[in-house]
Amino acid sequence: MRPNDVPLRRVTDFLSSMKLTLACLGLLMILVLACTLLQVPLGTHIAVERTIRSFLVWYTPDWSPVRLPVFPGGGLVGGVLLLNLLFAQFLKLERSRRKAGLWLAHLGLALLFIGEFSTALFQVESQMPVEVGQTKNYSEDTRQMELAVVDVTDPGKDTVTSIPESFLRPGAVIETPSLPFKLAVKRWYDNSDLGMRKPTDPPSEATAGVGPNLSISEAPIVTSDDAQNAAAALIEPVSGRDGLGTYWVSNALGAPQGFVREGRTWRLVLRPRRYYLPFSVTLKEFKHDIYPGTDIPKNFSSLVRLNDPSAGEDRDALIYMNHPLRYGGKTFYQASFGQNDQLSVFQVVRNPGWLIPYLSCILVALGLLLHFGTKLAVSLRKAA
Amino acid sequence: MKKGQRPPLGAFWAAFAAALACAAWPLLAPAPKTEFALAEAARLPVLEGGRVKPLDSFARNALLLIRGTQSLPDGRREMSATEWLLEAMFKPEAADTKKIFVIDDPDVLGLLGLQQSERRFAYWQLEGKRDEVGQQAQRAEKVESSRRSRFQNAVISLSRRLDLYEQVKNTIMVSGSSDPVQELAMFSEALPGALRAVHSPKAASVQDRAAMKALAELLERYRFLARAAAFRPLAPREGEPDDAWKSIGEAILQPNGRPPHPGLEAYAVMARAFRLGDASAFSSAVNEHLGWLASERPADARKARQEVLFNTAQPFISGMALYVAALLAVFAWWGTRRPWVAGAANGLFAGAVVVHTVGLVARVWLQGRPPVTNLYSSAVFVGWVAALLGLFAERIHRKGFAVAGGALLGFCTLLIAQHLSASGDTMEMMRAVLDSNFWLGTHVVTVTIGYGSTFLAGALGITWVLRRHFVSDPDPETTKALVSLAYGIVAFALLFSFIGTTLGGIWADQSWGRFWGWDPKENGALLIVLWNAFILHARFAGYARERGVMLMTVVGNIVTSLSWFGVNMLGIGLHSYGFMDKAFYWLLAFGVSQLLLVWLGFLPPRFWAVETD
Repeated sequence: MRPNDVPLRRVTDFLSSMKLTLACLGLLMILVLACTLLQVPLGTHIAVERTIRSFLVWYTPDWSPVRLPVFPGGGLVGGVLLLNLLFAQFLKLERSRRKAGLWLAHLGLALLFIGEFSTALFQVESQMPVEVGQTKNYSEDTRQMELAVVDVTDPGKDTVTSIPESFLRPGAVIETPSLPFKLAVKRWYDNSDLGMRKPTDPPSEATAGVGPNLSISEAPIVTSDDAQNAAAALIEPVSGRDGLGTYWVSNALGAPQGFVREGRTWRLVLRPRRYYLPFSVTLKEFKHDIYPGTDIPKNFSSLVRLNDPSAGEDRDALIYMNHPLRYGGKTFYQASFGQNDQLSVFQVVRNPGWLIPYLSCILVALGLLLHFGTKLAVSLRKAA
Repeated sequence: MKKGQRPPLGAFWAAFAAALACAAWPLLAPAPKTEFALAEAARLPVLEGGRVKPLDSFARNALLLIRGTQSLPDGRREMSATEWLLEAMFKPEAADTKKIFVIDDPDVLGLLGLQQSERRFAYWQLEGKRDEVGQQAQRAEKVESSRRSRFQNAVISLSRRLDLYEQVKNTIMVSGSSDPVQELAMFSEALPGALRAVHSPKAASVQDRAAMKALAELLERYRFLARAAAFRPLAPREGEPDDAWKSIGEAILQPNGRPPHPGLEAYAVMARAFRLGDASAFSSAVNEHLGWLASERPADARKARQEVLFNTAQPFISGMALYVAALLAVFAWWGTRRPWVAGAANGLFAGAVVVHTVGLVARVWLQGRPPVTNLYSSAVFVGWVAALLGLFAERIHRKGFAVAGGALLGFCTLLIAQHLSASGDTMEMMRAVLDSNFWLGTHVVTVTIGYGSTFLAGALGITWVLRRHFVSDPDPETTKALVSLAYGIVAFALLFSFIGTTLGGIWADQSWGRFWGWDPKENGALLIVLWNAFILHARFAGYARERGVMLMTVVGNIVTSLSWFGVNMLGIGLHSYGFMDKAFYWLLAFGVSQLLLVWLGFLPPRFWAVETD
C-alpha cells in the first residue's frame, strides 16, 4: 500500500492542497461581493449575519416551504481556509530561511482569522446616549429587547428583573424566584404599528395600563441601519389563579405602566437590552465644531467624568474622533449626537480580542516585506 | 533592441527638457494684457468652504460648477474666471448676458420654454422662470436621491447653479446698486444718529429719527448681504481669531466698536471703479488692499499667491498631454525599433512623471494634508503611483512596457480626476472623522498605492493581450520579461493593499470600535487583496502560467475599479463620501471592455491574421 492510499493521508493531502486554497479564496470573494450588494436592501448588520457570520447561506424561494442552503457561509469558508493554511504550512512549506517571510505572513494571517472568529463570538456592541449633566451606568443594545419588571416601592432603590427577548414567545409562562408572580406571554411582535384605538377598531386585548386605548398590529421587520423596530408584547402577570391585568408593552411606549400587589409597586417596561457597568459615566460637556462659513463638521468631543468607586478612579476623560476611551474592558467611542448638541451618543464595545488584529497585521506586513524584498533583490541582481 | 541596452542619453535628456519646458510654459508665458489689474485681484484671499483661498480658486470652481469650464469665451478673446467673477459681482447686468448655464436636459428646457438649439444660456433668459425652477427643485429634493428621475436631477442641478450665481452677485454689493462707495459713506454717517434713536427713542432728535429711517432700507440690504454672500472677503484683523473672516454685510452690521474694516472701503472702491471702467482706480484699490493683507495676514496672502500659481500652471493638464506624448513615442519606438526613439519616449515619460509629482507635492503643500483626501485626489495619486512604479520597473527590462502602462494609467487617471473636479473645490475640508493626517497619510496612501499598482499590473496584462494579436513574431524573451514584470507588480500590489486594508481596520478600531465592519469600502479593499493573493497562489501552484496570470491581472482592473468607484455608487456605508451616479455607465463600460480583452486573450494568437491568409 502506497502512503497515498492511507485514508488519513488523503484527508491531509486534501486539506493542505493549493486547489482548496484557491477554491476558498474564490468563494470568499463571492461572499464578500454578495455581502456588499446585500447591504443595500438588508442593511449592514443583517447582510453580514446572513453571509459572513454564518456557516451556510440560506435562501427561501417563493415556492419553497423550507429554507435551502445555497452557498457556504463565511464561517465555513473561513474555517476551511484556516485549516488549509495551517495544514499547508506545517506539512508542505519547507522550514528554511528562504521561506521565513512566508511563514511569518501566513501565521499572521491565521491569527487574523482567529481574531475575526473571536470578534464574531465575543464582541458585544451597545450604545450609550447621555445628556449633558446626566450620569449613566449602563449601555443599551437597540437591536435586542428585554422585559424589565421593576419593583419601585422603595423610592431610593429600584430592583430590576430583566427577561431577555428570547424568552418572550407567545404561550410562554415565565417564572423566576425574584418575582412573586408569573408572567404569561400572550403575544410577541418583532415590529409593530402602534396607534390610538379608534371607536371602530376591534376591542384591545389589553385590560390594564395604556393598552386598552391602543391599537397594535404586527408589522414587517425593518433592517436598515438607521431604522428602529417597535417591538411589542402582550403580557399578563399571574399570581396563583388571579390575573393581574393584561398589558401591552413596547419600546415605542413612553408612559409608565404597572400595578400594586401586596403593598409593592411594580412597573413593566419593554426596553432595549441593558448592559450594566461597574462604573458610571457623566457627560460634562459636548462640543460640535464646524468649519467657518460651512456646515461641515470639524470635530465632535465629549468631556466625561469617569467614576469607579471599586477601583478608586474618579477622573475626567475626553472622548473625541479617533480617540476612544478604553476602560474596564470596554471601549467608548464618540458615535453620534442629538438634541441640539445636548446629547452625546457613545458606541460601547467589549471585544476581548481587539489586540489580535494589530499583532497579526504587523506579522503579515513584516512577512510580506521580507519575502518580496528578498525576491526583488534577487531579480534586480539578475537584471544588473 | 537587446535586453539591457541603454537608449542614448542625448535623446532622453532632450525629450525630458522639452517636456518640462512645455509644462512650465503657462507660468513663463507673458500674461495677456488687460486693462484692469486682474492678475492682482485673482490673488485676493477669501474664506469659502471652510478654508482661505484666492479669489481665483473660488472663481474657477464657481465657473466650473456653473459652466463646466475654467474660463469663458467673450467675443474673440477668452475671459478668465476671475474677470467673470468680478463682472458678476460688480456689473451683474453685463454678466447676466453671458451664456454660462449649461442645460442639456430636454425636459428642463421645456420647462423653461427654451429651444433645444443651444446648450448654454444666459441668466436673463432664465430669470423669468427662476421661481418655477426653484419650486421644481424643491419638489425634486424631497425624492430620495437614488430614485430621482433625469429631469429631477437636472432641475436640482440647474437650481443650485442659479443659487450659486445669485449668491456671487450679492456677495460684495446688493446686485443692482449703483454706487456702493456712496452707500457705505451714507451708512457710516447715519449710523451714530440712528443708534441713538434706537437706544433711546424718546430723547432722539429729529435728525436722528430721519437717520434711522434712511438707514432702515440700507440695513435691510446689508442684512441680505450677510445672508446671501457666496464667500467671506474680509480677513480677521489683529486680535481676532484666525477663522473670524466676515462677509461684507456682517462687517457692516457688527462693527463691534471698532473702526470700519479697511476691506469694506477697498471692495466698495473696486466695485465702483469696475462699474465706471476706471482701470487705474481699480488697480490702486486692489494693490492697496493686497498691501494691507500682506502686512496684516502675511501667511494667508502668501498661500493665496502660491495657489494662484498652482492654478495657472495646471500641472495635471500638462501632465496628461505629456503622458499621451510618451505613449505615442513608445508606439513609435515599437514601430521603428530605433534606440533614439526609445530615449525620447523615456525622456517624455520621465518629464510627465516629474510634472505630475510637482503638481502632487504642490497640492500637499497648499492643503497641508497627505496626498489623498477625496476621490479626486485619489485619482491623481493612483495615476502617480502607477507612473512612478512604471518608471522604476522600466529600468529592469527596458522593453517599453512599463512606460506604456504607466503613461496610459497616468493619462486615464488624470482624465478621471479632471472629470471629478467639476463637482467643486478639490481641496475641500475634511469631515471630523477623516480629520487625521496620521491615518490619511498611512492607511489612505498605502491602500491607494495598492490600487495604482494593481492597475499597472492590469495595464501590463492588456499589453500582453494586444501584443499576442498584433505582433507577428513575439520574441519569447520579451514575453518572459513582461510576465515577470507583471508578477512582481502583483506582489507589490498585494503587499500594499494588504497593509493599507489592515491599517484601515486599525483606524476603524480607533474611531468606530471595530476592526472590521464589512463596510462596502472595506470589502472592496479586501476583494483586491483576495484577488492578488489568488493570482500569486495560482501561479505558485502552477495552475496559472503565462496566459492565466496575465488575464487575471486584467480581471484585477475590474476588481479595483469596483472597489475604487463601484462601492461608492451603492450610496451606503461609512465611506460613501464620493457619491456619483453618472459615472456608473462608464464603470460598466470599463468592466465590459476588460472582459472583452480577457476573451480576446483566450482566442488563439493572431486568429484574425490566420483567417485572412
